[in-house]
Amino acid sequence: MATKVRRLGLVCGWSLVAGISMLPILGIVVGLWPQEPLTFAGFESFLGYQGLTTSIVMTLLTAILSSLISLYIAFVVYSQYHLSQRLQSFEKYLAPLLSMPHLAIAIGLVFLFSDGSIFFVDSGLPRKGLATLTLTIVIKEVPFFLLIFSALGRQLPIKNWLLQGKALGYQAYRCWWFLVFPPLLKQSRLALLAATAYTLSVVDVSLLVGPNIPELFAVSVYRWQTSFADGDQVLGFWSNVLLLLLLVVSVSLLYAHEKLAFAGCKSLATQGRRFLVGRISPIFKAWIPLSGVLTALMILVFVLWSLGYDWHSSRPSFSQLSTVLWRDEWLFFALPLQNSLLIAGLAGLLGVALALLALELQRQRGQYWPDYYWLLAIILPQLSMVLGWQILHIWLQGGYHSGWIVLSHLPFTFAYGYLVLKGPFQNVDERYELLAASFGYSLWQSWWLVRFRLLLPAIFTGLAIAFSVSVAQYIPTIMIGAGRVTTITTEAVVIGTGSQQNLIALYVLLQSILPFMAFFIAALLARRFRGSVGG
Amino acid sequence: MLEVIDCQIEAKTWCITLPDIQVHKGELLVVTGPSGIGKSTLLHWLLGNNPQHVSIKGQIILSGANITDLPIEQRQVGLLMQDVLLFPHLDVQDNICFALPKSQQLSSKKQRRAAAMDLLEQINLAHLAVRYPQNLSGGERSRVGLIRALANQPQVMLLDEPFAALDPNTRQQMGAWAFQQLAQQDIPSVMVSHDVEDIPVSAQQLCLADYYHVLESNNQ
Repeated sequence: MATKVRRLGLVCGWSLVAGISMLPILGIVVGLWPQEPLTFAGFESFLGYQGLTTSIVMTLLTAILSSLISLYIAFVVYSQYHLSQRLQSFEKYLAPLLSMPHLAIAIGLVFLFSDGSIFFVDSGLPRKGLATLTLTIVIKEVPFFLLIFSALGRQLPIKNWLLQGKALGYQAYRCWWFLVFPPLLKQSRLALLAATAYTLSVVDVSLLVGPNIPELFAVSVYRWQTSFADGDQVLGFWSNVLLLLLLVVSVSLLYAHEKLAFAGCKSLATQGRRFLVGRISPIFKAWIPLSGVLTALMILVFVLWSLGYDWHSSRPSFSQLSTVLWRDEWLFFALPLQNSLLIAGLAGLLGVALALLALELQRQRGQYWPDYYWLLAIILPQLSMVLGWQILHIWLQGGYHSGWIVLSHLPFTFAYGYLVLKGPFQNVDERYELLAASFGYSLWQSWWLVRFRLLLPAIFTGLAIAFSVSVAQYIPTIMIGAGRVTTITTEAVVIGTGSQQNLIALYVLLQSILPFMAFFIAALLARRFRGSVGG
Repeated sequence: MLEVIDCQIEAKTWCITLPDIQVHKGELLVVTGPSGIGKSTLLHWLLGNNPQHVSIKGQIILSGANITDLPIEQRQVGLLMQDVLLFPHLDVQDNICFALPKSQQLSSKKQRRAAAMDLLEQINLAHLAVRYPQNLSGGERSRVGLIRALANQPQVMLLDEPFAALDPNTRQQMGAWAFQQLAQQDIPSVMVSHDVEDIPVSAQQLCLADYYHVLESNNQ
């Protein structure tokens, strides 16, 4: 009987995690099913769309370059902290940097540095343009890569490699590039692909700070997919196909870059040539403090704008500050705020729980499946998969409520939860549970009292990240909810495209506060429960 | 008393057929032999953690009951390894609380903590009660590990090179202290070791190499 129950449990567990991890593929397949009969004329009108080539080239270049720039900056920053024996100190500063949503960084950059900014100086950063978009992505992705490197650093014998290299007479910075960079680059493939796929199909940030004429390709795809105008559905279909092709091209380019980087490192190592990067890299030690200052400045500016501080008045004064806007807007932002909390709370919790279930099922089976299977939601273009989900949702006539939004966020919170928890989960020594069993505890009790407790700090971090990921979701919320389920993010995008600076500041501030609070609470709880095995 | 009957360890190319073993209360059996011969495998089989790369047949009789097919949690077998593996999320007192058996006298948290404290006081380690494993020395960790294993009132104690990670001085002291504790509590013990200095004079010895033979099919 017990065996039958256990077998049934295993089947249910596997079905559940397989179902969630396959949702992205289902979305892509359904999204590729034409809604209208395909004609050559439709394909021709798509190819002939004005500015299409420029838009595609811009999108591809931005996606690849911003991801690679972030990767290289993160590598140099990581090496600097590793070299100066301050590895621990950088990890604890990552949380607040990771918690800042893309949207808030984009608006923050505009408020701080664009024409009409608080400094009254035009720094040359356009309000809408590729430079602003790329800078936003880089500021956001560097902490993400640092988190990945820090997790990889625990698994790779970096210290021994450096020691060997130095014993052979190489300087420390050369050892980093010759010995550490190649394996780290190889192990970061999925992270690099995830960052590229994100930029390829990002809509909210592109709408606010991306170029207008022509707009980035993802914005066009989104516009066609959500339009009811004649012929736009056909354009939406072909643009979806092209978006997936762009992902394939990106994978090829990233692979070519990896091969080139390997060959470069190998050639430099064998020829013993000097190169400049190592010499200038100490400057990058300032990256994290500068990002911290920038984030703090952004928050400060949002707070002051939302409290009615007038930068452009002839005599700006703090006595002008008032909470009028907050009080007036409360009625309007209370519901989106409540929705955001509810949806992100549930999606985060379920995502992390399912990630733990997936890891435990694989452990019991004695074999872990390749990561890309579990991380499909973050390595495939979001627009393409959400389009399929939208078609399924309409077909199921499920109505528009928060439950569907939670389900549409779940593949993303699951993927990030899995990414954060996998390392710590595998690091738990199996013998702890063996010992617990020798004290008379059952399999389930050992898991709950030992493995789960050892993983708590990592679980809290995973929950904070999953919560933040859900808070920042725009496309699934707007497409599955059809605009009827509003969250702080959907409201922030709508208001962000307007020109009321104080209102924009208020909503972006609210959007930034939610993940920040999640990371803050996670850090407090992680300190409360000792015995971390990473995370 | 622990009895091991008709025990045979069989791998693809070799086989060990052990004589029947009896370890009486308070006695120590030391299993020796070169690395990779299956000492730890035998110990883990006694624990109930069946190895995957070799097959072990035989019967384990503990205090007259056949425990061969019982799961680990029902065997009442204590384990002390080279890496003591104190739970890092629990302080010393809670590590011992975790190991105390469930009984009516020890049903509340207060009672369990008091019992753990008593055990620590008996070995003059009460001052370590609120410390976490990360803040203990190697010797302290080993002592707490043994007391934790004994707290569960095991019917047999398995020791897998328990002192190998300690420095020579601490190792000698810890060995003497541990065997004294086990003898005082009348617990039969089985220890795996490949260091002769770890073996007390009074212990029985079982060298696996004496019973090792290459399988015929491998010779052909």
